[in-house]
Amino acid sequence: MFELDRSQYPQKKADGTLDIDLTSGKYLKLWQGPQHPGITGNMAIELTVCGDEVVDATTHVGYLHRGFEKLMERRTFMQCFPIVCRICVPEPDFNEYCYAAAVEELAGLEIPELAHWIRTLILEMGRVNSYLMYLGGQAGAFGQGVIGQWTTYVRDLMLDRFEELTGARIYHMFIIPGGVRDNLPDGFAGRMEETLREIESVLADVDRVMFHNAVFKKRAVGVGVIDTAWLDSYGITGPNARAAGVAKDVRKDQPYLVYPELEFEAVTGKDSDIYTRADVRRRDLLLSLDLIRQILSRLPKTGAVMTKLPNVLHWKIPRGETYVRGECSRGEYGYYLVTDGSGYPRRVNVRGPSYTHSIALFERMVINANISDVAALLVSLHTYPPEIER
Amino acid sequence: MQQLYDTLTQRFSLGEFTRQRADLAFITVEAVRLHALLRHLRDQEGFTHLVLLTAVDWLEDGQFQLTYLINNRAKCQDLGLRVMIARDNASMESIHDLWAAAATYQRELREMFGIDFPGSPRLMDDFILEGWNAAPPYRRDFDTLEYSRATYRERPGRETRDPAAHMKQQLYGDKGDV
Amino acid sequence: MSISDVLSPFTAWKNLFRDPVTIKDPLNERPGAARYRGFHKNDMDKCIGCGTCETICQNGAIDMLPVEGIPAVQGDSGLRPRIDYGRCCWCALCVDVCMTGSLTMSNEYKWVESDPDLFRFTPGVDKKYWDNAELGYQRHDEKHLMPVAREEMPELHPEARLDSFVEIVQGYNIEQAKLEADRCVSCGLCIATCPAHMAIPDYIKAVRDGDYERGVQLLYETNPFSQVCGRVCTHCCEDSCAARHEGDPIAIRWLKRHIIDQVPQEKVIELIGKPAAPTGKKVAIIGAGPAGLTAAFDLARLGHAVTVYEAQAAGGGMTRYGIPEYRLPYNALDRDIAVITAMGVEIKYNQRVGTDITMQQLEADYDAVVLAIGLHQGRSTRIPGSDHPQVRKAVDLLRQITAGETIDVPKSMVVIGGGNVAMDIARSMARLQLQHYGEIRVTLTALEDKAHFLADPVEIKESLEEQINILDSRGPQACVIDDNGKLLGLKTWKVLSIFDAERRFAPKYDPADEQIHEGEMIVEAIGQMADVSLLGDALTEKLEWNRGRIQIDPNGRTSENWLWSAGDCVKGPDVINAVADGHRVATSIHRALTPQEATA
Ligand SMILES: Cc1cc2nc3c(=O)[nH]c(=O)nc-3n(C[C@H](O)[C@H](O)[C@H](O)COP(=O)(O)OP(=O)(O)OC[C@H]3O[C@@H](n4cnc5c(N)ncnc54)[C@H](O)[C@@H]3O)c2cc1C
Ligand code: SF4
Ligand code: SF4
Ligand code: SF4
Repeated sequence: MFELDRSQYPQKKADGTLDIDLTSGKYLKLWQGPQHPGITGNMAIELTVCGDEVVDATTHVGYLHRGFEKLMERRTFMQCFPIVCRICVPEPDFNEYCYAAAVEELAGLEIPELAHWIRTLILEMGRVNSYLMYLGGQAGAFGQGVIGQWTTYVRDLMLDRFEELTGARIYHMFIIPGGVRDNLPDGFAGRMEETLREIESVLADVDRVMFHNAVFKKRAVGVGVIDTAWLDSYGITGPNARAAGVAKDVRKDQPYLVYPELEFEAVTGKDSDIYTRADVRRRDLLLSLDLIRQILSRLPKTGAVMTKLPNVLHWKIPRGETYVRGECSRGEYGYYLVTDGSGYPRRVNVRGPSYTHSIALFERMVINANISDVAALLVSLHTYPPEIER
Repeated sequence: MQQLYDTLTQRFSLGEFTRQRADLAFITVEAVRLHALLRHLRDQEGFTHLVLLTAVDWLEDGQFQLTYLINNRAKCQDLGLRVMIARDNASMESIHDLWAAAATYQRELREMFGIDFPGSPRLMDDFILEGWNAAPPYRRDFDTLEYSRATYRERPGRETRDPAAHMKQQLYGDKGDV
Repeated sequence: MSISDVLSPFTAWKNLFRDPVTIKDPLNERPGAARYRGFHKNDMDKCIGCGTCETICQNGAIDMLPVEGIPAVQGDSGLRPRIDYGRCCWCALCVDVCMTGSLTMSNEYKWVESDPDLFRFTPGVDKKYWDNAELGYQRHDEKHLMPVAREEMPELHPEARLDSFVEIVQGYNIEQAKLEADRCVSCGLCIATCPAHMAIPDYIKAVRDGDYERGVQLLYETNPFSQVCGRVCTHCCEDSCAARHEGDPIAIRWLKRHIIDQVPQEKVIELIGKPAAPTGKKVAIIGAGPAGLTAAFDLARLGHAVTVYEAQAAGGGMTRYGIPEYRLPYNALDRDIAVITAMGVEIKYNQRVGTDITMQQLEADYDAVVLAIGLHQGRSTRIPGSDHPQVRKAVDLLRQITAGETIDVPKSMVVIGGGNVAMDIARSMARLQLQHYGEIRVTLTALEDKAHFLADPVEIKESLEEQINILDSRGPQACVIDDNGKLLGLKTWKVLSIFDAERRFAPKYDPADEQIHEGEMIVEAIGQMADVSLLGDALTEKLEWNRGRIQIDPNGRTSENWLWSAGDCVKGPDVINAVADGHRVATSIHRALTPQEATA
C-alpha cells in the first residue's frame, strides 16, 4: 500500500486503524449520499473531515443490490439475456455484448458478419450516451446545470435512434446470444447523421461553456490527480488510465468485434487531473461519433443478423469457463462465465470498472481533498454503482 | 500461452492447463503456491493487471474454485489461475499486498461466499449486505427463491394452469366406470 | 487560463431565444418507433394455449388461464396467456418463442389506470385500444427462437427397396433423435389427441437426456406396442403438435421408435417389472391383435390369468397379416409380443373361436371374455364380374403374403380403392411382380380426386416412386371378362361427384369418359368388416347391436355382462385406438373382477 500524505494525519492505533476520536471535536463524520446531489447513483461515501479537509473515507454500496449474478444461476441461457442489461443503466449494452459473446464462445456458436458490425455500432452509440450523461454530471458537480440540460437533450436524440433500431430506449435487449435482433431500419444512416451533427453542435457549445471556462479550469485543473504508479495496483482502466497518459483501451489492446477494421487511435491525456479526464472523455466522445460514421458507411447492407440457435427452452452448454471483455465508457467491462454442462450458468461474474475505481481508488484519492471537491472528484472517476454490486 | 505454461512449469508445480482462446488460458494451482506464482507473473512475466478475483461454488465436490484473472497488456494475454479450496471453513491467503484493489474482492468474497482471507484489510466490514444473518447468499445452497418467498409477500390473484393437465381434465379425465 | 475563458461561457446566452426541444404532451402525439416493443397483442384465433410464452418468461409475468368461450379442443388447450405488467419487462422473448406467431407487440406505450390489478390482462381477450395497431415489434424468421424443420428420416431409395420387403424407414441415429427431440417445447398439447394419452413430452425429454431406460418405462405405462406404433402409428398426435403451426410437427412417432430401438428386449422386460400376485381370476381374450394383446398385457400385470385364442399361426392381427413387412418388419412385432407373453400371457395359436372352441365354453370357463377379432372380411364392390376368381380382396391377399402362401402373381393388375390398404396391396404386389417378371404393372383407381385422397400423402408419394399408376376420380363399373372367362381388366367411368347434397354416399359418373384398365387380376380394397359368425345364433340374438356392430358401453362392455369387446371390430380405426381400447376394457374388467370394498 502507498503511504498517504495526510496533512492533518490522525494517529494510528496499535491495531493499525486510525485513531479518530469524534468527541475531541477535531473530526467530523459527514455522509455524502445515499441521497445527495454530489453522489453518482445509489451510493454513499462516509467522510471523516478535519476542518474542510478529508482525512478518511469509506465507500458504501449495496443500495441497489439485486443479485444479478445469482439470479442468472437459476435462469436458462436465453432467460439471462433480458436481465443483464439492467446491471448498468446508462450504458447497458456492454452487458448484453459480453454476456452474449461469452455464451457464444462456450457454446461454439459463430455469429453472422453483419451482427458484428451492428453490435459495434450499438456499443459506440451507448458510449456516446454514457459520456453525454457524464459531461452533464461533471459540469453539475461544479454547479453548471445547463450543460446537463444540453447533453440530456442530445442524448434523447440518440435514444430515438436506439428506439428505432432496437425497439427500446433504455434497456435495449438487442444484442442477443446468437447475433442481434434486427438489421438497421430504412433510412437509419441519414437520421443518425442528423443526430451526430446535433451532438457535435452541442459539444461545441459544451466546449465553449464548460471547457473554456475559468471556473471549471480553476476547480478541475491539477485537482484529483491519479498517479500512474497506481494504475495496476488499483486496477484502473479506461479514460481514468488514459488521462494519465497510458493508452489502455481494449478496443486497441485486444480488438474485438469489428474494431480491427476501424481507423482510430486511443485518446489519451497527460495531466491525469479532473480536467484532463473530462477532456479525454469529450474527445473520446468525438471519436465515437467518428466511429459511428465509419461503421455506417462500411457495414454490409444485407445479410443474416442471427445464427440459428438450438431450442432455447432446453439449451445446454458444455462445461467450460471464459472471460470476455470490452472497452466501455468507464474502462474495462467483462464477463467471466462458468458453465457446467447444464442449461443454466454455473457462475457469472461481472467485472465493472467502477468496482475498483469507486472503492479502492476513490477511498485513496479523496484523502486530503477539500470537501467541496469531493463530488467533482467522484464524478471524474465516472462510476456507476450498479456494476459494483451487480 | 502454451509457451508461458512450459516456462512456468520449470519453476512451479502446476495443475491442469486449459487453453480457452489464443489469448486466454486457465491453469489450476495449489493454494500454497498461488502467492509466489502471482508475484512471479506480476513482476517477471508482465501480468501486472488484476482483472478480477472471484469464486465458483462446486457444491457437489465440496470445493470452492477461486479464479484469479490477470492480464499482460503488452502481450495481450489473459491468464486465469484456478485454486480449489475446501468449502468447509474456507480460507485463502490474501493477495492485497500484491494488488491493493484485491482487498475489495476479498471483502466481497467473505461476505457473499463466506471465504476467509486472514489479514486482508477491513475484511469483516459489511460490503453490500447490511445486517445479513442468513447463509452467504452466493453459495449454491442458498436458495434465492425460497428466501424471497419467506421474505416477501406474493401479490394475490395469480394462478396458472398446466395445458396438458387442463386438457386432461376438460377432455378425457378418467371418470371411472360409467 | 485566459480572458477568453471568462467570456466564452457567456455564449450560453444565445439559447435564450431558442424554441424548447421538449414535446408537449398530451397535445402532441409521440408514437413509438415502428419496431417499438410496446403493449402485447394476441390473436385469439391463432393462439393454441401451449404456454411456451409462459415457460420462457424469465420474469414469471405470464399465467395460462381458461377464457370464456374458448373451449379446450384437440391441439388447443383453451388456455390463454395473461400478462402481469407489474412484472413484464417487454423483452419480447415470449413473442420470439410463440409457437403460432399469435403473440405480438404494438408500438403503444401509454396506459393509465387507477386500479393496479387492471395491468394484469389477457391480450386479445381484454380489448385494448392497441389491439389493431399496425406497428410494433416484428418477429422475422431469424428471430423465431424455435428450430422449425424436422430432422430428415433416412429412408431407402426406391431402387434399393423395390425388389424386396426390407424396411424402408431406417430410424434416427442418436444424434438425429436428439436434434429432433430438442425441438419439442414440452407443452403436452399432443397428449390429449393421442388415443392412449401417451406421456409424449416426457419420453421426448428422455431422448434429449439420452435416458432410454426411462423412455421405455414411460412408453410401457401407456402402450405395449411401441415397436409397432413407433413405425406405423397414424400419429394423429402430430396433427395437434404445437410445432406444426410455424414449422414441421415433432416426429413423435419416430422418436418413440428410436427409444424402443435403443433398449434390448431383455432389458425392456426387466424394466417393466414382474406382474402382481395372482388373483385367481381367469380372462379369455379372442384375437391376438393390438386390442386383445393390450388388454391381455394389462390384465396379466394385474395378476389375472389370461388366455388368448388366436385363429392365425402368429400374433399381431392386422399388424402382421395386413401391414406389409416393408413398413413393419415381423421381428419388430415379435419383440412387442414377446414382452407381452413374458408377463405370463398365454396365447393359443391356430384356435378359431366358433370352430375350435365355442363362446359358451369360454363363458363357462372364464370370469370375463374379451372379443377383439378385428375386421377381417374384405368388402366387395359388387360390380358385374366381381365374383370372378381373379377378383380378390386386399386383406385376403395380404394375409397370404404374410403366411408365405404361394400366390399366382399376375403380370398386370388393377387395385380398386384409394386408401392406405389399397396402397399396401398395390405396393406389395409391385414388389412381387418385380421379383417374378422384372417389371411393374399395377394400376390403382380411386373414386376421390387427388386433393381428397384417403391415403396418407406419404403413402401416395412412395407409391408413385414405386411406379404405381395412380388414377384419381375413376369409378369402377364392371370387371371385363372375355368369352373364355378370362379376366381382361376393369372398366371405369370418370367420377363427377361422390356425395349428394345431404353428404350421403351417391357417386355420379360421366359415362362418356370410359376407360378399360388392363389387368389379369383385380383387387378390391374398399374396406373390411367383422366376421361375427363365431358368436353363434343364440348369442347374436341376445347381444345388443348398433348399425351392424356389437353395442358397447363407454368402458367396452357389451350388453352381456361377462363379455367385453375392443378394437377394430367395435371402434377402430387404427393400432393406437386398438391399444387405447385394450386398456379401457382391461381397466373395466379389473374393476369388475376385484371385490369392491363396501362403501358406506
Ligand atoms: C392393410 C392394412 C394396413 C394397415 N395399416 C395401418 C397402419 O399403418 N397404422 C395403423 O395404426 N393401423 C393400420 N391398420 C389398422 C390396424 O392394423 C388395425 O386397426 C389394428 O390391427 C386393429 O387391432 P385389433 O386388435 O382390433 O384387430 P386385429 O389386429 O384385426 O386383430 C384381430 C385378431 O383376431 C383374430 N381373430 C379373428 N377372429 C377370430 C376368431 N374367431 N377366433 C380367434 N381369433 C380370431 C384375428 O386373426 C386377428 O389376429 C391397417 C390395417 C390394414 C388392413
Ligand atoms: S406461445 Fe403463442 S400460441 Fe402458445 S400460448 Fe403463448 S401466445 Fe399462445
Ligand atoms: S415481454 Fe418478456 S417479460 Fe414480458 S411477458 Fe413476454 S417474456 Fe415475459
Ligand atoms: S410433441 Fe409437440 S405438442 Fe407434444 S409436447 Fe412436444 S411440442 Fe408440444
